[in-house]
Amino acid sequence: MASLSLQGIQKIYPNGFHAVKDFNLEIEDKEFIIFVGPSGCGKSTTLRMIAGLEDISGGTLKIDGKVMNDVEPKDRDIAMVFQNYALYPHMTVYDNMAFGLKLRKVPKAEIDKKVREAARILDLEKLLDRKPKALSGGQRQRVAMGRAIVRNPKVFLMDEPLSNLDAKLRVQMRIEISKLHENLGATIIYVTHDQTEAMTLGTRIVVMKDGVVQQVDTPQNLYNTPCNLFVAGFIGSPQMNFLDAKCTVKGDDVTLTVGSHVLKVPASKKKALIDGGYNGKTVVLGIRPEDVHDSQAFISNSPDSIIESTIKVYELLGAEVFLYFDVEGTQMTARVNPRTTLRTGDKAVFALDMEKIHVFDKETELTITN
Amino acid sequence: MQRCYSLLIGFIDSLPLIYKNKKGCTLPVQPFYSEWGRNMDQETEHSQELDKALAELRRVTGLPLDISISTSAEAEKALTQLKCLCKAYKEKYNKTDFLQSLMTGGIPAYEIPERAARLHINPDDPRVLFLLESATPDETVMEILRNLFPSQTKAYLVPVTDTITAVLRPIRSGEPPSDFRHIARTIVDTLNAEALVRVRLSYSSVLETLADTARGFRETSLALKVGKLFYSEQSIFPYDELGIGRLIYQLPLPLCESFLKEIFGSEIPDSLDSETTATINRFFQNNLNIAETSRQLHMHRNTLIYRLEQVQKRTGLDLRLFEDAMTFKVALMVMNYLQAERNK
Repeated sequence: MASLSLQGIQKIYPNGFHAVKDFNLEIEDKEFIIFVGPSGCGKSTTLRMIAGLEDISGGTLKIDGKVMNDVEPKDRDIAMVFQNYALYPHMTVYDNMAFGLKLRKVPKAEIDKKVREAARILDLEKLLDRKPKALSGGQRQRVAMGRAIVRNPKVFLMDEPLSNLDAKLRVQMRIEISKLHENLGATIIYVTHDQTEAMTLGTRIVVMKDGVVQQVDTPQNLYNTPCNLFVAGFIGSPQMNFLDAKCTVKGDDVTLTVGSHVLKVPASKKKALIDGGYNGKTVVLGIRPEDVHDSQAFISNSPDSIIESTIKVYELLGAEVFLYFDVEGTQMTARVNPRTTLRTGDKAVFALDMEKIHVFDKETELTITN
Repeated sequence: MQRCYSLLIGFIDSLPLIYKNKKGCTLPVQPFYSEWGRNMDQETEHSQELDKALAELRRVTGLPLDISISTSAEAEKALTQLKCLCKAYKEKYNKTDFLQSLMTGGIPAYEIPERAARLHINPDDPRVLFLLESATPDETVMEILRNLFPSQTKAYLVPVTDTITAVLRPIRSGEPPSDFRHIARTIVDTLNAEALVRVRLSYSSVLETLADTARGFRETSLALKVGKLFYSEQSIFPYDELGIGRLIYQLPLPLCESFLKEIFGSEIPDSLDSETTATINRFFQNNLNIAETSRQLHMHRNTLIYRLEQVQKRTGLDLRLFEDAMTFKVALMVMNYLQAERNK
């Protein structure tokens, strides 16, 4: 397997479209890296530049220390898996997996060995004689993976490989891919727009927007310490609540005022607001739905972080309940225990866990308190 | 080693008559043998070439034929005639040749049904034409396409050049045109993954009958050219989604130049500097929103405004206004087009 180095990678198309800007990333051997971001953010373009399917307009790409900018895709020792894979309809699973190697004139015995090994890893051994039409969606996807595995590449590049599958199958395949990573010990770069997929699969996640890398970090760190408003909103489901708040510094005390609600900033967060000169300025207060509490005990212990509203929607998901309500015209969500007595139309009191709040600069959208 | 052939002298002279025969498979075989050739090398060479030519004739027409010749001159004559026969037969009966001629409009409409029927092609099936261009000539592309569209699918693969291949695919009953994009995506993704080759692909609107194939080829050729020029960040170009690029591509060059003169004055730039282009493109992508653009470009809003004012000084167009922005966007596309034409 291999390590990769992307230094100042850029992609500018001949029509002037700047798809990727100054992309810098060091990928260690055997890492599972996820590129995540909304549609059109440049994640697939970056992957295609690594594969050699797009020219690199600027910067340097290295695989195992060798500059790859001008190396033909075939000579980069990579394998790709795409969303819109096609299995050859008239071939068996075995032949589908062997086809790429036959094209490369690999000896028969070697092909056989590699196909059977890939089939073992993917649990396809009993299906090798079947035609694609006799396979389920998940099995087909595994065959597509098998075609990549038999190449025994240095790097696997996967571009939204699960997007065509239904939700249940996607969860199942996520587990399969995770196992595959462990079994193969492979370096994998995986593109998705689904943040759940990103959080569950990746050892590190690269969040992109408009061709720019926003943050590179572990799933846990991205969730707990997002570097800007975009990352905070993109990672997490339901997404983080955002409220415009006025920052007031009085002596040692810092408060955030949202309409009629005054929230006291804890000691761990206030220094950044004081040092940053935010007194009197409007900032963006972010709080995750699970940090908005409706339990009486928490409310009693947090008299300085109370907000009141009327429940607009009650959503029971079995193990948890989402409550939707407005605060000063902004919709908020609370993720609470299903034992809650609150229902649609009820007047509710919530307490925010102020130790878990995030505060962002309104203009630059960068985090202040992390 | 000596080889014997039955030579059909009369047949060779009457070849044109034979392939005009509608049944087409009544070649008379009258073997007779004679020794020929004293020069063994020459004999072997001719023998091999004749074997090849006969095998090719059999492959193309399905007709077995034995020939016998006595002299080297006869062998050469037989060889020439066999090659002519193959060529003529291909022109008349080979699917690829037929479809190539059809795409280029080389077959009169009244001949299409009869010739299609002869090749077992239903002339009345609705179809869609995909035109695929790979960055470099690659044999594996054709091999993969052949396996993606095996004969049962009744899709025909037609090589156009070393790098361009057409796929004429029947439309299944109830298959909406919106599915064409998915098929196109599948072709591109499969070639990317299996052959690791860069490809671009265009596809036509629905071709109601085989007679529309020439239109389909014109559509896809145009879509491929326009797509590469104006939408270079994409790899799939549907003919019915070419947008304003289609209009610009069909404008005469003098008209384009006079339009640019109107905007840039007498000194029309070949292209704008990359920084200005990137700034303006991002500004357009953000729907002329200064705050969002400056944030994304990591520049102060005053810097962005300064750059936009520089453009205004030069062109008189205030890009913050929709109408001026639209004019400038078109001008950028026209500049791209002119540059591509000049590079030709």
